Amino acid sequence: MNTLVIVLSLLAGAYLVAVLEAWLATGRFRLAAPAWAAVALLGRESIVPRTPDRIFFETAPVLLLIAALLAAAVLPLSPSMVMANLATGALFVNAALAYVLVALLMAGWGSDSAYALVGGWRFLGQVIAYSMLIVMPITAVAMRAESLLTTDIVSSQEAVWNILYQPIGFVLFFVASMAVAFLPPFDLPIAVGDLAGGVEAEYTGVRLAVFRLGRMVLVITLAAATTVFYLGGWMGPVLPPWAWSAIKILAVSAAMLLGGYTLPRIREAHLLAWCWKLGIPLALINLFIVGVMVLIWP
Amino acid sequence: MALISLQTVFIAFFGIAAIGFGIWVFRTSSMMRSALALLFSQTALGAMFLAMQAEFLGVLQIMMMATEMSIMAIFMVMFMMDPGGLGAMEMSHQKRLSILAGVAGALATAGIALFTQWGVVVTSAPAAAEQTRALGTELLGRSMLIFETAGVTILTAMIAATAVALPTLQRKRNA
Repeated sequence: MNTLVIVLSLLAGAYLVAVLEAWLATGRFRLAAPAWAAVALLGRESIVPRTPDRIFFETAPVLLLIAALLAAAVLPLSPSMVMANLATGALFVNAALAYVLVALLMAGWGSDSAYALVGGWRFLGQVIAYSMLIVMPITAVAMRAESLLTTDIVSSQEAVWNILYQPIGFVLFFVASMAVAFLPPFDLPIAVGDLAGGVEAEYTGVRLAVFRLGRMVLVITLAAATTVFYLGGWMGPVLPPWAWSAIKILAVSAAMLLGGYTLPRIREAHLLAWCWKLGIPLALINLFIVGVMVLIWP
Repeated sequence: MALISLQTVFIAFFGIAAIGFGIWVFRTSSMMRSALALLFSQTALGAMFLAMQAEFLGVLQIMMMATEMSIMAIFMVMFMMDPGGLGAMEMSHQKRLSILAGVAGALATAGIALFTQWGVVVTSAPAAAEQTRALGTELLGRSMLIFETAGVTILTAMIAATAVALPTLQRKRNA
């Protein structure tokens, strides 16, 4: 039952993210826009490029969706509403997100097209830039909670939310999350202007629909992770816990989408330089500060 | 009893999957397929850990291999003259020696598994959170020196590799 409710809420969330993205792209607010887009995609012929790596080409969109869903499986919407409350929850989020990379590499290689291939390899570089900025802030969060259980992580924020307790970690995790979901300005693997869709370029019809759905679910999952790790999860006055989770997750997704839309796309080399020269030292400083604070004021 | 047998079924399933993907690594000529087959072989090993109720090790294995094998893929594509495998390139060499080495290795491993006195085998695994704590204590205690040595060695190799890859002053002047 829990699983069904959470999967349905994820899909509803993904739909709202798609509405917001369409609103940003076209400047018109239309609640039905993603539904029509989906109908159009499902009705369209799903063309397979000449000489694809068929296994990779077919697996990639499904793997992207599965990776996003698996990461969401350990994130609680309320104290009891969690698909699998694993003892290694915070680590499991990382493990599932790592397969986003595998999906994009498969899509890039499997399409047998130059733009897609470049897009796939670009994402590999992007992962080398952002991955430490996902892992190290989560480590600091787990240090405060003294547990990898996601429900314990939320409970540890009873007195003060982590966004105030470890603001550096929050900023790093938020920016890195945008890079995981390849949202602008980190949309290097699909880069509409210069790669003509990149890893998405050769996908049409139902395969493209699954790919897009996977990405939208990924955005919602990352927003849920940000909420659980930094914004006190389900905590809040008056409203029931699940409602607070929903409000926070939607607000974070909106912030992720709005945050990058006005910025120019970052260059791969600049992304790597910023992440390694500024991001990782900041993440280490964050770990140190949190380590000292946990001893003084847990 | 029923639970144990189900567990055995899962361990066997993932074990066979790991071996199957392992064989596929050498059966394909595409570097990308080869690298990702190795990735899924390792992922199946991680799933075996999970089936054996070693949750932390399983999740860690599944996480680490995804990035590591993907990075290996780009190196394989860069260094092979036929990364797509369209030229029907021969993927194996020194066949007789490698078969002998493989069989000897497999026999030795099986021998160690069968003839070692493993002592008392625990009947039930400790809770997952307890395992994580025990692993942490182990890494910060008895095994600290080994892991720190390995870590520093890898870091040194990374710095050395980066230093080698950077253009020297001489090359910069020539450019």
